[in-house]
Amino acid sequence: MEPNLVSPSQRRNFLMIMLGGVGSLLAVAAGWPLVRFLMPSDTGDAASQVAIDRTLVTPGTAHLFQFQGRPAVVLQTAPGEFVALSAVCTHLGCIVQWQEEESQFLCPCHAGRFSTDGSVISGPPPKPLEILPVTLDGDQVLVG
Amino acid sequence: MIRQTILCCGFLVVLVCGLLVSPAAAQQDETVCIQCHGGLPDALGVPVGEWRQSLHADNGISCHDCHGGDPTDFAMAMSPERGFLGAPDYTAVPEFCGRCHVGVLGDYQESAHGQALQAGGAQCVMCHGNHAVQKASLDLINPESCARCHDYERADKIKGILADTDGKIIAMEEELARLGKLGMAVEAFEGQLFDLRNRFHRAFHTVKEARVREQTGEVLAGLETLRAGVDEIDAGLGQRKLWGGVAIALLVLAGILFLQMRKTYEEDEKG
Amino acid sequence: MSPLKMLVDFLDVRLGVRDIFAKEVSGYLLPRRVNAWYTLGAVLLTLFGLQIFTGILLLVYYVPHADLAFASVQAIVNDVPFGWLIRMLHAVGANVIVIALLLHMLSVLFMAAYKGRREFTWLSGFVLFNLTMGLCLTGYLLPWSQLSFWATTVATDTPGAIPVVGDFLVEFLRGGATVGNQTLGRFFALHVVGMPLILLGLIGFHLFCVKRRGISTPPFGEDYLADELLPFFEHEEHPAGIPFFPNYVVKDAAVICFFLAFLLAIIFYLPGLFFPPSAFEPADPFVTPPGIKPEWYFLWAYQTLKIFPSEIIGLGVQGAFMTFLALLPFIDRGRERRPAKRPVFVTCYVLGILLFVAISIWGHYS
Repeated sequence: MEPNLVSPSQRRNFLMIMLGGVGSLLAVAAGWPLVRFLMPSDTGDAASQVAIDRTLVTPGTAHLFQFQGRPAVVLQTAPGEFVALSAVCTHLGCIVQWQEEESQFLCPCHAGRFSTDGSVISGPPPKPLEILPVTLDGDQVLVG
Repeated sequence: MIRQTILCCGFLVVLVCGLLVSPAAAQQDETVCIQCHGGLPDALGVPVGEWRQSLHADNGISCHDCHGGDPTDFAMAMSPERGFLGAPDYTAVPEFCGRCHVGVLGDYQESAHGQALQAGGAQCVMCHGNHAVQKASLDLINPESCARCHDYERADKIKGILADTDGKIIAMEEELARLGKLGMAVEAFEGQLFDLRNRFHRAFHTVKEARVREQTGEVLAGLETLRAGVDEIDAGLGQRKLWGGVAIALLVLAGILFLQMRKTYEEDEKG
Repeated sequence: MSPLKMLVDFLDVRLGVRDIFAKEVSGYLLPRRVNAWYTLGAVLLTLFGLQIFTGILLLVYYVPHADLAFASVQAIVNDVPFGWLIRMLHAVGANVIVIALLLHMLSVLFMAAYKGRREFTWLSGFVLFNLTMGLCLTGYLLPWSQLSFWATTVATDTPGAIPVVGDFLVEFLRGGATVGNQTLGRFFALHVVGMPLILLGLIGFHLFCVKRRGISTPPFGEDYLADELLPFFEHEEHPAGIPFFPNYVVKDAAVICFFLAFLLAIIFYLPGLFFPPSAFEPADPFVTPPGIKPEWYFLWAYQTLKIFPSEIIGLGVQGAFMTFLALLPFIDRGRERRPAKRPVFVTCYVLGILLFVAISIWGHYS
């Protein structure tokens, strides 16, 4: 057998570098599926419209529903006039409650108050509630 | 202590073995119809054996589904009170089968066969058989069968028009079955194909050339859409194989490199 | 100073990690003739780790309810990105574990490594093997397919042959008269928490036994000397041996890579190997699919039960055989470990393997 001119430790260093390369490729090959597996799924409801039965939204009451994965509320302010708002308080993200007697929204967490157009009446919320577009289609109230 | 461990272990072993599989198979529930008729001679018992081999049996359609009656009660099984119908007369067969096969019934009644029913025209069981009914195929259109009433020429012409498309439907069924065995979600495709196949086979029952040709066009368009879906799944599977191959190659390479590393250490160990 | 060295220094002054490493890893000496079969422990550790990891990932989307389980698995395989890969790694990985376990056990038997006061190592390993079978059995039900449902129905029916308590045992296993949502609940709890916890504990004990007693010397070569059994505890040292790290770890790593490549090869090129068509049909308690067969590693047991005229005799024979295997180190007390000097044992060993294979094939085709 021919004597090996390269010493074992030299070969080892070379092999280490090769293994480092192969290992990082394998790490990517294992990491990519993992990240994709755990990615929030795109359920496609971001663009969708929500239809609500008009009878659910009588004058003076509020109806809570899910819009694009977040709570929203629709109410009939005057006969035939509908308003839809995000129900997520702009302060810390609690869900606002409709106060029928006072005709305003109250956030139970830190007493933020909003009017029916979403603007802040009092309390800590820094911004008004987001207004969602509403259209009427026969017996259906379409939000979005 | 050791003895206790041994005892515990022995018990565990027996328990685990107790969990292992035995050949006891669950028995299929049999209706009173089958229990009784299964043991009867000749015309009263033969249908049971024929039915067992049929497409109806495969799909859980049993005696009472067609003949009515009460499959749970020996005494009242064949009582008209419980909806027992018995065997239909020759001319009543199309309505009998057509309770489920509504679409085909409509097309059949429009056809020359259906129009001639009272005069002894062909009805369902003449071609499809009764208890031993199988999945319909083009083989049902053949000289021996058709020539019982008229010459085969016109039937052969229609068969010719059907053959190509029918072959494509069968090929697609096989494709979907292949993907299904790989765990792919092809239920929606299978549903579409089932609908196409039914529309296509219905059309034949009009025995009108023009109608069959018209349906063929629609079915072929539907098959194209399915083909595209199947191709997409296959392309995805091909991609998987490719990347899987790369990952396997990398692992084998890493294994070989590690073995080479081991060799360098072996040299050190000798020296 | 490199950040890595700083981190190690930080840990070293607090936990003495360099000392542990020097004693237990780089200073852990293995016998000079240590062979490739000794890597199977590391392979199994890796594969069990992979099962736990992929199992946790599957739990993210799996729903343990009879009405939803099948659909959730279908969604994992078809809708979740790379869900098919995670599911296949878990399901095929279980089969590869059984292969590795069998090889591990067979190599230990052949080299008689259970000898020399290593009864606890063998016993804990044998219980681990049975526990893995239990994990396979409980995991099999979770996808709630026709295969899951009927394989479990048949498997849980077996204890019914035991006199007096049989019927009660069957009902207790199932949580009801038949396999149903209650069965899924208990199998899920066992598969996901109960058995893995015991498994981890047992693996810990198994490794402790291996390290405490000292790894066995392969019984080959002219310089082999039988263990000297003193009347007190003794840690078997290999003073002239090779260091576990880095010298032998690279061999462990190589075999692990080959096993993973083997696992991926099945997943990508033979995906249907462990999945008959009934694995893709939702469970239907009213329709028994024809020809339901247990998994390949239960075929021998399935066929044994068929051979004997009564099920209770079959169960008894299986129980006796498994008990014999479990207690082998207490029965086979001779000191000789070299296969060439143990002709009777080696003959039984080879015949045993052939019998296992033959009965399994018979079971497959019967």
